[in-house]
Amino acid sequence: MNINTVEYFVREVMHSLKRNNWMSVASIGTVAVSLFIFGMFLMLVMNMNKMVDTMESQVQIKVYLEDDFSREDAKDLEKELKQMQGVEKVTFVTKEEAMEKFKERLGDQKTLLDALDETNPLPDSFEVMVLQPEMVKTAAENIEKFEGVDSAKYGQDVMEHLFDITRLIRIFGFALMMVLALATLFIISNTIRLTVFARRKEIAIMKYVGATDWFIRWPFVLEGIVMGFLGSIIASVVLRLTYSGITAKIYDTLAFFPLIPEEPFLTYVTLIVVIGGMIMGAIGSTVSIKRFLKV
Amino acid sequence: MIHMNDVMKVYDNGAIALNHINVDIKKGEFVFLVGPSGAGKSTFIKMLFREVLPSSGILTVNGRDIIHMSNRDVPFLRRSLGVIFQDYRLLPDKTVYENIAFAMQVIEAPRRMMQRNVNNVLDIVGLRDKYKCFPNQLSGGEQQRVAIARAIVNNPAIVIADEPTGNLDPETSWGIMDIFKSINASGTTIVMATHDKTIVDAMQKRVIAIENGEIVRDEARGGYGYEH
Repeated sequence: MNINTVEYFVREVMHSLKRNNWMSVASIGTVAVSLFIFGMFLMLVMNMNKMVDTMESQVQIKVYLEDDFSREDAKDLEKELKQMQGVEKVTFVTKEEAMEKFKERLGDQKTLLDALDETNPLPDSFEVMVLQPEMVKTAAENIEKFEGVDSAKYGQDVMEHLFDITRLIRIFGFALMMVLALATLFIISNTIRLTVFARRKEIAIMKYVGATDWFIRWPFVLEGIVMGFLGSIIASVVLRLTYSGITAKIYDTLAFFPLIPEEPFLTYVTLIVVIGGMIMGAIGSTVSIKRFLKV
Repeated sequence: MIHMNDVMKVYDNGAIALNHINVDIKKGEFVFLVGPSGAGKSTFIKMLFREVLPSSGILTVNGRDIIHMSNRDVPFLRRSLGVIFQDYRLLPDKTVYENIAFAMQVIEAPRRMMQRNVNNVLDIVGLRDKYKCFPNQLSGGEQQRVAIARAIVNNPAIVIADEPTGNLDPETSWGIMDIFKSINASGTTIVMATHDKTIVDAMQKRVIAIENGEIVRDEARGGYGYEH
């Protein structure tokens, strides 16, 4: 491809975008809207994933020991727990340590504990971390069978609900993103089809004088890419503003909520949206020109 | 240049457009293709640049096997041919110069060559001073001359013309034929389908007559042979 040809392609694209002025603007706008919704879902799903990850990493089993279980026996039990399949880490928490933590958590209200009068109702316990959150349930059940174990607790209900919800959102989000990608493809391909149709005579002449299919195709494919690019840039800008707005709002009210920080997250999202938009523009126009090349 | 051996063309609807065609056209020949409408002239012409694919037989154009050629090679076949139509087929939003240069642009010819060749063919068809005009500012004869210039700008071995004077008055037609004569004189083979009895009779070139898809006459120095 020589420089002369590249120049010709660029000129053709500019010419075509200008000629179909309103059509181009409308398509770029529609592409921007569907890429924006696509991006919103992408960010939602990614944030959900991050939230689940955070929660999953915090999942641990609290193993409370029976009161009369001696510290020596507890050491043996610790060894046994460590040998269990899927167990990552076992920490022994004495009842004194547990009390300290409890006091810390109560903060200003720790005077409440004065009523206990130096007695400590808290048991010795283990904090058991497992490798995968799915193992929590079985691990806890198995641990409860050990001698000296009073009970093994974890956030049963919360975890199971969380899994259900996130699975649903992931599936739904994925399906919706697919639909939106297809819609974008369709919009771009439709616009290019109109341009191609308007220029079918020119295409026929090009074929008669011996232009290769790729030579004919390139300007249209480039036009599709340019439309996808412009649409995705608009979408990205709006996405960035929206996300910044939302994070700011949420940090004000729910500071602990684990949102993904803006950077480099937004850069990734922008890249995905822009590259995705361009790819869909290229595919859309390639599809729509196919029929007109048969001369 | 063009070799047909027992070529047949049957369209999808079962209509036989061409039946057992045997033709040899040598380099530098000037051939008229005559016959009533619907006899198969257009199919004959279209097969030469592979817009229509023969159903059976052997067809070579410029040494290329049309039937077994892959789609990817078709552009390169067409670069060795110049095609001219009755309706000119110029691009209305491009000037005369651009319309001709377009044929070189799409085969990615170098720009230096482009200017030289376009000016050269503009001289041949006598439109040097109208290079800036748009097609709708030209007469029919002038438009056809632009189309001829476009067809020959890449120095084709064969020029194929389908009723090039069909829309033109007799006087203008003669102007066009003079251009064809001079192109032919420089060694380019010309195949021209026509209904123009006066032209065929006066030129005294080879005449191939097609009727009902078959060649009924092939004379080295013939006349039109039909009465209107």
